[in-house]
Amino acid sequence: MKTYRSYLHIFLVTGLLGFGACKTSINTPAPSRGTADFSRYISVGNSLTAGYADGGLYLEGQLNSYPSIIAAQMQKVGGGTFTQPLFSTDQADGSGHLILTGFNADGTPKTQQVAATAVRDQITIPGFGNVVLFAKYTGDINNYGVPGIKLQQITYAPYGNLNGYFERLLPGNSPTNTTTYLDFVTAKPYTFFTDWLGNNDALLYATSGGAGDVLTDKAQFSQLYNYSIGQLTKSGQKGAVATIPDVTAVPYFNTVTVGAILAAVQKANPAAKALVINALNADGSHSPRVATAADLIVLTFPTSMIGQPVNTPVGPLPYGLTPYTPIDDKYVLDQGEVAMTQDYVNSYNATIKAAASAKGLAVFDAYAFLNNVKANGLVVDGVNLSSAYISGGIFSLDGVHLTPRGYAVVANEFIKAINKQYNASIPLANVSSYRGVKFP
Amino acid sequence: MRKLILLLFAIMPAIAFGQGFQVNLHGQKQIGMGHTGTGLLQDGASVLFNPGALAMLPQNYVQAGMSPLLFKSDFNPSGTTDQFRTKNKIATPFTAYGVWGPKDARWKIGLGVYTPYGGLTDWGQDWAGKYSLESLNLKAIYFQPTLSYRVTDFLSLGAGFVYNHGTVDLTRAIPVSNSSGQDGQAELKGNGHGFGWNAGAFFKTNVGLTIGLDYRSQVNTTVKNGDAIFKVPSSLQSSFPQPNTFTTTLPLPSTSSIGLGYKPSNKWTLAVDVNFTKWDVYKTLGFDYAKNTPTLQDTYSPRNYKNGWSYRAGAEYKATDKIFVRGGGGYVTTAVNDGYVTPEAPDANRYYLTAGLGYKVTKNLDLDVSFEYEHLDARTQTNIESQLSGTFKTNVYIPGLSLAYHW
Repeated sequence: MKTYRSYLHIFLVTGLLGFGACKTSINTPAPSRGTADFSRYISVGNSLTAGYADGGLYLEGQLNSYPSIIAAQMQKVGGGTFTQPLFSTDQADGSGHLILTGFNADGTPKTQQVAATAVRDQITIPGFGNVVLFAKYTGDINNYGVPGIKLQQITYAPYGNLNGYFERLLPGNSPTNTTTYLDFVTAKPYTFFTDWLGNNDALLYATSGGAGDVLTDKAQFSQLYNYSIGQLTKSGQKGAVATIPDVTAVPYFNTVTVGAILAAVQKANPAAKALVINALNADGSHSPRVATAADLIVLTFPTSMIGQPVNTPVGPLPYGLTPYTPIDDKYVLDQGEVAMTQDYVNSYNATIKAAASAKGLAVFDAYAFLNNVKANGLVVDGVNLSSAYISGGIFSLDGVHLTPRGYAVVANEFIKAINKQYNASIPLANVSSYRGVKFP
Repeated sequence: MRKLILLLFAIMPAIAFGQGFQVNLHGQKQIGMGHTGTGLLQDGASVLFNPGALAMLPQNYVQAGMSPLLFKSDFNPSGTTDQFRTKNKIATPFTAYGVWGPKDARWKIGLGVYTPYGGLTDWGQDWAGKYSLESLNLKAIYFQPTLSYRVTDFLSLGAGFVYNHGTVDLTRAIPVSNSSGQDGQAELKGNGHGFGWNAGAFFKTNVGLTIGLDYRSQVNTTVKNGDAIFKVPSSLQSSFPQPNTFTTTLPLPSTSSIGLGYKPSNKWTLAVDVNFTKWDVYKTLGFDYAKNTPTLQDTYSPRNYKNGWSYRAGAEYKATDKIFVRGGGGYVTTAVNDGYVTPEAPDANRYYLTAGLGYKVTKNLDLDVSFEYEHLDARTQTNIESQLSGTFKTNVYIPGLSLAYHW
């Protein structure tokens, strides 16, 4: 009996110890920085780099910017602290931004603008126009993303007076600034950079329907890009660059389609045969023609304008349905404009890849990646992501910039490119812990 | 006019119960000996191990046991250093058997209540695979009345009828954030039943060798009108109509076993079993919702399981007239093909080691304890449906205790 008791005792104790204390673990190789040094990482770029989302720059977007996600992962391989020029929590809504408030009966979304909380002032710059100024940020900066900036503007000394997002980071007040963006970002030593500039050189033309902006000259783009990469790598710094997405890969141009508008018009007015737009001709002039599926309507087009009477020399005619009353150019990136934009983007991307190759930099081919997402979708951790507006999960409410989940996907693509180029093994971020669009 | 088409939000509940969901905890004496028992006459657990053996049992039995089970899984997503672990939740497989027949009669009747399939996995709401699964609690309780007849002194046969009562409770995140950034959640909860049968034969030889054959049929368990609860932001609720119900069928596969027992001396009992589980009946998993919307469609997920084998061996040593020491182990091949591994039961080839101790409290009462350690090989996979990519590794710890009264 005594023997039995001691047996049982030993048995149960051993059993229960194993039971509670053992932790199942998978051995993972220690992550490595490879041949790169992430001790001070800076990010150079535009709105995408700043964490702009839902048509504005605001705190939650900043906190989920792709550079901040990359930096957090870099810290697992010896990366340094990464400081962003965040809006304060009192000014969390920043420049103001869109929120989704619900859906109409036909399934179309309703959005609402949240007011800005970080506006400091507004000034008028002669010969330029009004500039909204934001609460100044003082302190260290690793994320130099400036919404709206074009590559074309990075060596333009007065630019710090014209862009409120850049002005916010500078010590001086508009209109007294003279520091170029490129000088500003390279002023303090760094060991690694990401550079995603150049989108706005094509995108601002495209989002204005080819009417409110111009494409940056290809030769100028090439000259500035090579110069800026030369400056960024002047002390032997390593880095990663990204190509410019095809403008037609974003929901801003793919959500409101000619076919959908026409179908809605024909419901009320079966006689309507076609939409008419003011399209670009080969010689650069514009003239009315019937719209086709190859013409892209911008997301912000107020479709209620269609069919409204417009006064013309031949009397009142319905908007968008006759050659006398075509849809305004600013709402349409027509086929010719799409082709021209794509031609420029291809040229820019050739420049970017050549420059990266010459300096041995990592390349995240955002052009190829987003076109692939558009064509095939992307399944990550059990989530079906796509380029669709709202439901796709990647693009935010403005149809151009990304959701936190979209930025996490981008961060991982950068990390993969960096790992490959520099023989590193920066761990990937957990995409499923970042949200898509918020639903009410 | 911003045309919105809400995509399918991948509402694909995936009950993937591999060998991992086959619970082989059917009697403390048998667990101690590496889950052997098809070819042995140990106690009332023969109701399950081999209904053909009942009529050979020298006595009548009433017994019950429980084997609290801790399933500890770890997931490391590919390309990361993250480790996500299942929460410490204790499942409680149990057994209860009764065997009775008149003294010296050629027949015995028996009743078994046991849990041959089940799973309790809780990964929590913050892990990389939350859109595949947050938690699953699946239980199948079999009720089996049995009749056995001794044809001759060296051969007995038996058969039983099986009624299964199954319950399932599955949760997973839905990738739609509410205004505070939290995911939606789907919960599928219901119970169902199924029927099956089993049969066995038991041979005694005159050289101390005993042989058992056992077949347990497939039991299709249909969950009808289970609750399908979708918590989503209110603006999307119409796409996920509430209340809603679902119907699904789980084919709990058949198993065939052959077992040998051998007594080289009156101190030792040795046993081996080979067990074949016909998992390939599990081709697809379908969920049929009572109310569908463009977003919430019925789903059919491929499973394409392959048949599984397990090889078991064990020994019992009679240390004194009252004390029995047992040990055993086995190897089990996975039922889940590459590309189909899911977090419900991250199946892989596995081995297990067992130990047990029996004590005769009185002439009529046995107290048995057992302990089992199971190790599932690390398995690195990208699931073809969810693209969830990473390495799973699992350990299982199972102590157990039973009391058997015999006369």
